[in-house]
Amino acid sequence: MFGRNERRGPAGPAAGSAPHEALRLVKVTKVYGTGGAEEAAVTALDGVTLSLPAGSFTAVMGPSGSGKSTLLQCAAGLDRPDSGVVMVDGAEMTAGSETELTKFRRERIGFVFQQYNLLPTLNVAQNTVLPLKLAGRRVDRARVREVLARVGLADRMRHRPDQLSGGQRQRVAIARALVAAPSVVFADEPTGALDTRSARDVLGLLQETVRVDRRTVVMVTHDPVAASYADAVLFLADGRLVGQMNAPTADAVAERMTHLGDMYEAGAPQSGAPRTAPMGA
Amino acid sequence: MFSLAMRSIRQRPGRFAATLLSAFLGATIIMMFNSLLDTAGADGVDDTSAESLSTAAMVVGGYGSLLVFFAVASTLTVAVRQRTDEIDLLRSTGATPAQITRMVVGEAAVVALAGALLAIVPGMVGGRILLDMFQDSGQVADDVDHVFGTVALMSGIDITLLASVGAAFLAVRRAGRARAGRAPRRRLRTWGGYAALGLGAGLCLTGFAMGDAGPEAMAPPAYGAILLSVGFAAFSPALLGGLLRLAGGVLTAFGGGSGYLTVHGLRQRAAQLSGVLMPMVLFVGISVATLYMQSVENDHIEAAGLTRSVDDKNLETLNFVVVGIIAVFACVMLVNTLYAATSYRSREFGQQRLAGATPGQVLAGVGLEGLLLTVTGVFFGTLAAVAGIVPFTVARTDHVLPEAGYGIWAAVAGVAAAATLATALGTARRVLRTPAVETVALAA
Repeated sequence: MFGRNERRGPAGPAAGSAPHEALRLVKVTKVYGTGGAEEAAVTALDGVTLSLPAGSFTAVMGPSGSGKSTLLQCAAGLDRPDSGVVMVDGAEMTAGSETELTKFRRERIGFVFQQYNLLPTLNVAQNTVLPLKLAGRRVDRARVREVLARVGLADRMRHRPDQLSGGQRQRVAIARALVAAPSVVFADEPTGALDTRSARDVLGLLQETVRVDRRTVVMVTHDPVAASYADAVLFLADGRLVGQMNAPTADAVAERMTHLGDMYEAGAPQSGAPRTAPMGA
Repeated sequence: MFSLAMRSIRQRPGRFAATLLSAFLGATIIMMFNSLLDTAGADGVDDTSAESLSTAAMVVGGYGSLLVFFAVASTLTVAVRQRTDEIDLLRSTGATPAQITRMVVGEAAVVALAGALLAIVPGMVGGRILLDMFQDSGQVADDVDHVFGTVALMSGIDITLLASVGAAFLAVRRAGRARAGRAPRRRLRTWGGYAALGLGAGLCLTGFAMGDAGPEAMAPPAYGAILLSVGFAAFSPALLGGLLRLAGGVLTAFGGGSGYLTVHGLRQRAAQLSGVLMPMVLFVGISVATLYMQSVENDHIEAAGLTRSVDDKNLETLNFVVVGIIAVFACVMLVNTLYAATSYRSREFGQQRLAGATPGQVLAGVGLEGLLLTVTGVFFGTLAAVAGIVPFTVARTDHVLPEAGYGIWAAVAGVAAAATLATALGTARRVLRTPAVETVALAA
């Protein structure tokens, strides 16, 4: 079921034809801290440019403090870049109010967090339909049941989050991210709080949404095994893209990460980061 | 564990601000009124003066103390409940339940003591002002000096301390029970609630028998109304749940996403909101009861063909001032508790926003919740007040209800609604300024 050999299966982007672009970042920069007299400003993202085609599964890796979470949050509209352009599904993210940004996200983006972020007062079914309710969209009960059955929780609809295991909670979070049929699903360390077996289930589900539903998934992780479920891995150091690996294996990713760590500590981030991350074939 | 308690207060004094404020205000009011007892007991005070002073201190100081007790306790319950995460962390690091109880109760005791000590000077000043008013109204001889002695000091410290420590102990024990997977028992609350309702109803009924006993006849029904308010507040979670069952369908149908959030959120949190409902029911109950009773008293004097004497007018003024103090206190407690409860919800709001709620939707949800709280609080406060007003009115006049109309009631309800909505919305607005991702990460 988790066969990584299926990666280049029929569901992958058609080779030859220009794949539809799901996410594009152009020179996205984010600096934390005002850079006062004492406190040096930290450049979390330093002009990151990338493009991900629809129906791709990309992992973003890098040492602690490399800016990978910031990248995800800027791309997902949860944080605002200082400069640069973020385009999701061909639409440019507005730099407007939080309300505008929320409405933009509702239509296009799903998010899965390490800490699930389910509302403790709502049960599984209520949590799942919450994005639809908030967006004022009609709730298709059959569709909700289908999504929950997909993540294996059709028999837990009336349970509340505190009655579920961590793996089950994360699967509810995935169902919630998928129910509005977003173009891109962002996952921030989705397996960070899970045991190996639950982590495998969650990664398998993410993979399946790419294969079967042709969604685009971008996942930040520090775990080489988790990254090996993706089609490609982007490496980030010091706020810049410093490399990429297609058809990753856990061992190869781990080795590259060790190397990256050395390089990062040596303070010599490689220039000439890849501008785009082509997928598939 | 006590040193841990001291350290946690020193490190984060801001978190104890709400508890400290309620202890301070509560102790000030108790000391203010009870210093009249000290004054009455001093040497060289003539009998009439002493009697006026002790009557006022017993009547007002008595129910004031009762009110302070419940207000301080409800703030503290909210404060302890907010620390579940920290308490869980301590438990998982190896703290025994007894150690955790000692820590939380120790903190409560220190904060209550600090509040009571801070209250001494304002209590002295307030007591002197009260005495001046009694002297101006001629009820107390002008040569009586204000004394702030052991009764004021000890009752202020004791009641505040007892309320804080008792509430902290019960709240932390309840938290422990919930953690252990046992359904929290509410036996004490239930019995306390029944006792308050029974006693309150009894006192209200004695109002029928008071007849023409003079303005003092106001005391039993007023006490009764307050006890009924306390009793209703104890059962408010269940009452709120009932209201939700009635209104829930309508709100989800017409309230959109915000209505959905409110109804489902409130259903689970109904128990926690009793801390907010308590001061609201008390505020409405006390204000409405006293204001209408005073108007009945005025009508009665007029109907008897008497012109109101200067004494009557002074008594009215004094009554209004005293009720004003108590009502303002209840209102401040309402704002205080609601502020603490709302600012604590930043994580929950963050999760709603991450799930796709706009800031406007979160605010609308909070507003709707405030409205439901107000409706519940005003309803039961009014019920308690009416239970006190009717016997008094029947005893003093030949009507069942006062002739004063709905104006006073509408004004009190308006103040309650305004305080609730302004506090909830203002706090939520401030909380929403933090980016959603940060509010969710804070607890990690």
